[in-house]
Amino acid sequence: MNQHLIEMYVAGKMGEAQAEAFEVACLEDPELARQVEFEQRLKAGLEQVSRGSTAEFVRAESSTRWRLAAAASILLFICAGVYVWHQMPGTHPHVLAAVVSDAERNGSSMRLALVRGAEHLPQLPGGKVRVEIVGLFDPGYHYSVMLDRLRESKGELSVATLYGQHATSPVTLEVMIDGDQLEAGTYSLRVRKQASEEEALDFSFVKP
Amino acid sequence: MQVVGGMDFIPGGELSRRIREGDISAESELIRQFEPGLRVLLRRRTGGDQGLLQDLVQETLLVVIQRLRGTGIDDPQKLAAFAAQTARNLAIASLRKAERQKTDVDSEATERKADSTRSVETLAGDLEAALAVRALLRELPQARDRLMLKRFYLDDHDKESICEEMQLTEAAFNQALSRARRRFRQILEERGFTKRDLLSLGL
Repeated sequence: MNQHLIEMYVAGKMGEAQAEAFEVACLEDPELARQVEFEQRLKAGLEQVSRGSTAEFVRAESSTRWRLAAAASILLFICAGVYVWHQMPGTHPHVLAAVVSDAERNGSSMRLALVRGAEHLPQLPGGKVRVEIVGLFDPGYHYSVMLDRLRESKGELSVATLYGQHATSPVTLEVMIDGDQLEAGTYSLRVRKQASEEEALDFSFVKP
Repeated sequence: MQVVGGMDFIPGGELSRRIREGDISAESELIRQFEPGLRVLLRRRTGGDQGLLQDLVQETLLVVIQRLRGTGIDDPQKLAAFAAQTARNLAIASLRKAERQKTDVDSEATERKADSTRSVETLAGDLEAALAVRALLRELPQARDRLMLKRFYLDDHDKESICEEMQLTEAAFNQALSRARRRFRQILEERGFTKRDLLSLGL
C-alpha cells in the first residue's frame, strides 16, 4: 500500500490535499520519507541520464573509457593533494581557537548564518571575537572548522584549522577568531562534521 | 513514545513541550525526525536545485525550533503539519523571490553569470543520482528491465500497459521494479558520492 502511495506522490498523481496529508505522514515517519526520497532520486537520475542519450536504456554502455578517465583524474587529484599538503603554511593556533572562558563568551561577537540573497558579507571587528555559527549541528559529533583567505587570482589560502569542536546547541557552534592577526580581505569559514560524508557549511566574512 | 518504521518516534506534543522547556536533546530529536520528510516535501518544490533544497530544509528547522522556543504553536499535537506548512511557505516565498529577481534584472550577462554559479550546486545533486542510475542500468541483466524503467518513470506509462507491451505478469513487473529500487538504494548508500568526489572526477 505504501509503495503505491509513494509512486503516486512521486509521479505527481495525487490531489493537492492528499499530497499534503502524505507529506505530513512523511514528517511523522522518517523511514517512509527515506523510501520516498530514494524514489524521487531514482526518477531524477533516470531523467538526467535520458537527457544525454536514451541508448543506455537499450543496451549497457561500455564503461572502459569512463573508468580510465576516472582513474587518471583520481591520480591527478592525489598528486595535487600531495603538492598542496607540502605547500601549506603552518597553522596559527591563536588566530582560530575554541571558546573557553566566560570573558570570551561575553565579549565582542559576530554571527554567521546562511542567508540566501544577502548582499553584504558580515565584517569581522578587530581583537578577539566570538563567532557564532548558525546551522544544524549534532551535539554528539565533533566538527572541524577551517579558516581560509579568499584571494581573487590565487584561490584559497589556508589560515588555520580547528578540530574536535562541539556545537553549543543543535543550531549553534562557536569559535574565537583573533581579528588583529588577520590581514584585510575576504575569508571563508568552513564547518564540517568529522568522520561524515555530510556537506560542509560554508560562510564568508570580510576583515576590513 | 511510539515506534514508527523501526525508529523511536516522539509525538509532537511532547517535543513541543520539551523544546519550550529548553531541552536541547529534544531539538536534536526534532531535526532527526523531521529532516527526511522535509527533504521529500522540498525536493518536489525546488526542481532538483540541491543548494536551495538544503537551504530551505535548514531554514524550516530553524524557524520551527525558534517558534517552539518562543511563543509555541496553537496545537502542539500537529507539530508535523506546522513544520510541513512552514516548509511550503518558505518554498513559495523563495520561488516568488526568484521570479522577482528575474523581472527586476533584465541583463543577459547577469543571468548568464547567475546561472553558471547555480549550476554547480544543481548539477552536483543530479549527477549523484545519475551516476547511480548509470551503474544500475549497466548491471541490469535484461534490456527488457531497462526499457521497463524508462516506460514507468520517464514515459509515465501505467503498469498495466507496460505489462501488456512486454508480456509480463504484474507480479513479475513488481518484482523487477522492486529489485531495481533496492539496487539503486544500495549503490547510492555504498558509494556515498559527495559533491567533492564528483568535482574531482571532472564531472
